[in-house]
Amino acid sequence: MFVLPIIGYTFWVIYEFIPLYKQKLWHDFWVNAVLGISSFTIAMLLSLGVEVPSPEGPIRELIISIFGK
Amino acid sequence: MQKEQLSDKEAIFLIIVFVIGSSLITGVGGEADNDAWIAVVVGLIMVMPMILVFSRILSLFQGKDLFDILTLTLGKRISKIVAIMYIWYAFHLGALVLRNFGEFINIVAMPETPMFVPLFCLGLLCIVAVRLGIEVMGRTTAYFLPILFLIIVIVQLLAIPQLHLNYLKPILGSGLIPVLKGGFSALSFPFAETVLFIGVFGSLKTKKSPFKVYYWGILISALIIIITTIRNLAVLGNMRDSFYFPSYAAVGSIKIGNFIERIEVSVAFIFVFGVFIKSSICLLVACKGIGKMFNLKDYRSIVIQTGLLMIYLSYIIYDNSMMMKYWAFKVYPFYAFPFQVIIPITIWIFAEYKARKNKMNCFSSKCP
Repeated sequence: MFVLPIIGYTFWVIYEFIPLYKQKLWHDFWVNAVLGISSFTIAMLLSLGVEVPSPEGPIRELIISIFGK
Repeated sequence: MQKEQLSDKEAIFLIIVFVIGSSLITGVGGEADNDAWIAVVVGLIMVMPMILVFSRILSLFQGKDLFDILTLTLGKRISKIVAIMYIWYAFHLGALVLRNFGEFINIVAMPETPMFVPLFCLGLLCIVAVRLGIEVMGRTTAYFLPILFLIIVIVQLLAIPQLHLNYLKPILGSGLIPVLKGGFSALSFPFAETVLFIGVFGSLKTKKSPFKVYYWGILISALIIIITTIRNLAVLGNMRDSFYFPSYAAVGSIKIGNFIERIEVSVAFIFVFGVFIKSSICLLVACKGIGKMFNLKDYRSIVIQTGLLMIYLSYIIYDNSMMMKYWAFKVYPFYAFPFQVIIPITIWIFAEYKARKNKMNCFSSKCP
């Protein structure tokens, strides 16, 4: 399954990443790179069946600790 | 970047679809049991002052969106912190709405299909919509809303034989407290979620139009939600709480003769379109926020990656449907309260102060 994200993200690099580099839009390029690497990492983890922790638990605990059940 | 323009009519339609989108199918004011419809009315009354606040903020800074207004009112540093909070809220809300859709498809339509598939398909659609821009979304909504209205009216009429109005009694049988709790829940989901439109309505035409748009949008959508809630209560009675999607179950019980039945797919159509528009608006606001924070040339360059992250978050956020329901009714109202009420009121106070200060400066320097 991990092949699918690799293929998908390769298309993304060709379609969006290279044009940004050619246009020298460095702000857009670096923000896009950081977001892209994060999303690629999560995609790979999900495709390999790794359980990614959800932010729902900590937020729920925080809200319950403030307002009670 | 070309400035996008949104007509008042399109903006009202966007608010209507945004509000009724997921709330029509998941139900509103569940805490109040058979007084849920009164809870929606209470929620509507509670949101009225907030509508005034949202529209006042927009009309004080005409042509500016939420993130510009934050910079103008709170200064550069604090505005960045608040902007990060709103980016997270929009991003998280979009993921929650997408997950609602995923659960819906998984429970009622395609239980064998992995949930990631419907999430990914709708997420991609949202990415395309946000890349096309708010104008296209506005026009699409203007085309589809009459169809949605027609479906809602026809379904209500067909449900008349199934209605048992005695299920609505006793009115206020459990007292006022559950109704107020339900009203608070209805305030946070869905009415005050329209705070995100401050990030979109920078392109409205006149100074008065934000109020008109918010007022009519919320009023029409509240009316639809009240009628639908009464229908669900009158059809399902005490069984309402045992369904994850009460509207779907209520419409599923409609049977006219032996040929008009199984029309719940019409409700699914409304839900899918509503979720699509709501997630797209959330994604748009998140992308605009990121774009403004990092001084990007165009927010469109980050839509694909932000959209994909939203899809992944929606996939990992809950373990099961019970958790989703617990979060939606027990945790979410308190979680969303600062974003929907406290921060907008603070921004409004600072905005009024800034606007008056600018006016005074204008008087002293005789600017036009």
